[in-house]
Amino acid sequence: MSKPIPPLGQPPLTPAVFHILLALADGPRHGYAIMQAVEETAGTEMRMGPGTIYGSLQRMEEAGLVRELNPGRHDRRRVFALQPFGRRALDGEAQRLARLAALLRSKHLITDEG
Amino acid sequence: MGRRFLWSQTAYRFLLGLYPREFGARFGSDLEADFGELLRTYGVFATWRRVVPDLLRSVPLTHAGARAARKRARVLAGKGDRPMRSLWSDLRHACRVLRKAPVFTAVTVITLAFGIGANSAIFSLVNAVLLRPLGYAEPERLMLIYEGFGGPGKIGVSPPDFVDLTTLQRPFSSIGAYRTTQYELSGTGDPERITGVRVSAAVFPILGVPPAVGRTFVESDDQPGQDVAVLSHGLWQRRFGGDPSAVGRTITLDRRPYTVVGVMPAAFQFPKRGPQINGEPAQVWTPLALDPFERSQNARGMMYNHSVIGRLREGVTSGRALADIGALRSRLIENYPPVLREPMQSLTVTAVPLAEEIAGEVQRPLLLLLGAVGLVLLVACANVANLVLSRAVTRQREMAVRAAIGAGRGRLLQMLLVEGLLLTAAGGALGLFLGYAAVRAMPAVIALSLPGVSDVTLDVRVVLFTFALSALTALAFGLLPLAANERRDLTELLREGGSRSTSGARRHRLQATLVVSSVALAFVLLAGAGLLIRSFERLMAVDAGLRAPRVLTMQVSLPRAGYDNPQAVRSFYRAMQENVQAIPSVRAAAVQTDLPLDGDGERRAFTADQPVNPVFSSTSVAVTWTFGDYFRTFGVPIVKGRAFLPEEDAENRQTAIVSRALAERFWPGQDPIGKRVKWGIPASQAPWQTIVGVAGDVVDGRLGETPILHIYVPFAEAMDQAPAMLAAFFRRMSVAAMTEGDPAALVRPMRGAIARIDPALAVADVTTMSQVMADAAAPQRFSTVVLSAFAGGALLLAAVGLYGTLAFGVTQRTREIGVRVALGATRPEVLRLVVGQGMSLTILGLALGLAGALAVTRLMTGLLYQTEPLDVATFASVTGVLAAVALLSCYLPARRAARVEPMAALRAD
Repeated sequence: MSKPIPPLGQPPLTPAVFHILLALADGPRHGYAIMQAVEETAGTEMRMGPGTIYGSLQRMEEAGLVRELNPGRHDRRRVFALQPFGRRALDGEAQRLARLAALLRSKHLITDEG
Repeated sequence: MGRRFLWSQTAYRFLLGLYPREFGARFGSDLEADFGELLRTYGVFATWRRVVPDLLRSVPLTHAGARAARKRARVLAGKGDRPMRSLWSDLRHACRVLRKAPVFTAVTVITLAFGIGANSAIFSLVNAVLLRPLGYAEPERLMLIYEGFGGPGKIGVSPPDFVDLTTLQRPFSSIGAYRTTQYELSGTGDPERITGVRVSAAVFPILGVPPAVGRTFVESDDQPGQDVAVLSHGLWQRRFGGDPSAVGRTITLDRRPYTVVGVMPAAFQFPKRGPQINGEPAQVWTPLALDPFERSQNARGMMYNHSVIGRLREGVTSGRALADIGALRSRLIENYPPVLREPMQSLTVTAVPLAEEIAGEVQRPLLLLLGAVGLVLLVACANVANLVLSRAVTRQREMAVRAAIGAGRGRLLQMLLVEGLLLTAAGGALGLFLGYAAVRAMPAVIALSLPGVSDVTLDVRVVLFTFALSALTALAFGLLPLAANERRDLTELLREGGSRSTSGARRHRLQATLVVSSVALAFVLLAGAGLLIRSFERLMAVDAGLRAPRVLTMQVSLPRAGYDNPQAVRSFYRAMQENVQAIPSVRAAAVQTDLPLDGDGERRAFTADQPVNPVFSSTSVAVTWTFGDYFRTFGVPIVKGRAFLPEEDAENRQTAIVSRALAERFWPGQDPIGKRVKWGIPASQAPWQTIVGVAGDVVDGRLGETPILHIYVPFAEAMDQAPAMLAAFFRRMSVAAMTEGDPAALVRPMRGAIARIDPALAVADVTTMSQVMADAAAPQRFSTVVLSAFAGGALLLAAVGLYGTLAFGVTQRTREIGVRVALGATRPEVLRLVVGQGMSLTILGLALGLAGALAVTRLMTGLLYQTEPLDVATFASVTGVLAAVALLSCYLPARRAARVEPMAALRAD
């Protein structure tokens, strides 16, 4: 019996899902571009390989977070875009993180500059 | 892309195979492209450092995702109740249901298998023997022409009469003659004996089958001295490996070279095996080439052993042809020499359609079996219907429950259909196996007795037809619970528990009808089988006239080359008899032209000297030429006078031995010893032969027929005749030896005895006389055994049907019976109630069956020997057997009913 997989769109999002959503927030990208964007914004500790990227994209597509643009065309790389549900999930996660950040700030555990 | 990344790229492509197939198919090219980018950007080492942990993480994840997706797909599909999916679940459900009712399932499947198997086998046989096309052009226009001497018997045509008929006859566009013969085939390998047919040039064109290679015969071949041959496809393959250049080469027949001019196609068979004269399939054809003697007036009144075949002119019916050809008898008689005309007055000419001749005497028994097997199928269907119907009642409640929890009618229909199909599929598979086994066993069981039996194959159309019929039965009755549901209130059904339903009466009537028909049909089958068994018993009790339990016989055919003079033939048979006689375990040995019971010996006219009634001095008799201890070897009693003396065997002393019937026909009340007989008609110049003994009558041909008049003469008599008469007939002979031990042990020593005289000679037809006698009764035995098996099966089915219906009725009426017992009914009364119910059905079935049997068995008249179709004893015993079996079938459920405990019955439900 495999473990139940938590709903992808519900906060808290997994780091991989959050960063992919974040990378797609600026516009549709293909897998390699997502990989680079994530590395740019999150640094080497979020370094993902292609298998992780596409595996995540597939599950996120099934959950309705993203969709493939022009799925019929296979002559070039597959390009993924954010779905409205993906945008809402990203917003929800951002608000959760913001509340979390505010909480941490109120406890003076972090500073605005930190 | 650079060569330096080639290894990495190949390795990565290989590793992609670790992902689920759907994932690889969709993203494989992207993964490879990204991998390439990484290689170019970061180099081989950094790329692999990134990709290996990526693979380790993503491969298990994607697999988990794929599993989840498949599971979701199943759940989603489940909501939709797609037909295919539910079909599968219905199939599993049906298996479960049928497993839970093993007796019902087994009985139904076996019943179906019996019906389907028996029908497939018998119809395949009928198809092979009666229905399969002959393979000739417009075969319905082919007829065989026979001569005869009064009475129903047919004999072949004498050569001069054939020559006359070719010019006199009108109804046929042409006629041709043929005669089967035995050839010794030698040259390469061991010599063997093969059957050949000498055909006149017209025969192949009449049949209308062109040769596969080369040509058939033309007029110029049909002359003495033209040694040409047409080969069968089989012989061509065997001797020439199917080489088309065989045409023009030679084969050695009877130690003479024959030039091959053509090869017939593989499917060509002529003559077709059958009971007609010269009805033995050939491997080689040679020209008939009638010689001057055979065409001359000297051959008048003899050699009635040629088959004549003709092709009807366009628009001429076989009936017209028969009338026309029959009218030619007087013209033929006119052509005989004046001295022969008077005795030839009884000469007749007839014509019979070829197809009828081939099927011949087996047609009636086969049609009888076909009818019988049809009845078996009816009984089987009735039984299956009954079984399924009984079960349907229990299913009614299940149906109601299913309908109540939301199953649609279509859904229920599908479920029942699947169950019915599963049952019939199992029954059909088993039946197919049974039919196949029966068809495989057939040639062994009926051996030579039926034409075409060697190529019986299971007929696919029949299998499908019987299968469809059984399936329809099972389905039609299987769907009844659904039909019953429609008329009824579901809740009522659920409340009642389905045990006392309003449709019960209707169902019961239907079941009663089915039981009555099963009993009636079983009665008809039993009556038919009973009559055949009785007839067969009487046939077996017939005294064939000989006692030969330990006799081995084999046949040899001397080739013309080396045996073209009487001296050579004489010294051969003499040496053969002496060598066989010298085998230590042999008590008596003889050489003869034909075997008792074989029915293929010489028939010729003879004249009796000074008969008591001088008007009938001449008739046709069977003639056997013998050398050695013939009468002791075959256990044929000499009832008067003596057997032949050694000196009569050594040279012709003009002596003969006649059968008792012949002696009594011509010299009733007188001593036949010393009386004289001669070949031919009263005016013939043949020398008189003195009767020295009278032998017991021996059945010749078929058991149960009146023994033919028989004359035995020493071989020396034939050797004295003109060399022209030293035809193939006298070079073909059999040798027989009576032993004190097992006749099979004689095979080797006897073969050795023959090989010592002529090592090249082929030996054929090695058989015991017990086998010959068994073969003589084979057709009757076959019909009897098969019909008895059918009748036994039908009896069993009827019993099962009766038992099933009553047992079910008892179960259904447990409460009612309980009430009766509670109200004072005694156990014997309950017993009587149930048995009475069953027996009233039985009696109705018996009455109907009796009426049916009286109508049907009349059709069997020709198949019965000394047995009336309305044989009272048979009908009485059939009634007795059926009633007894029915009583038993009723008693078992009745006993159960009588044991019903009233309180338990009332508490039930």
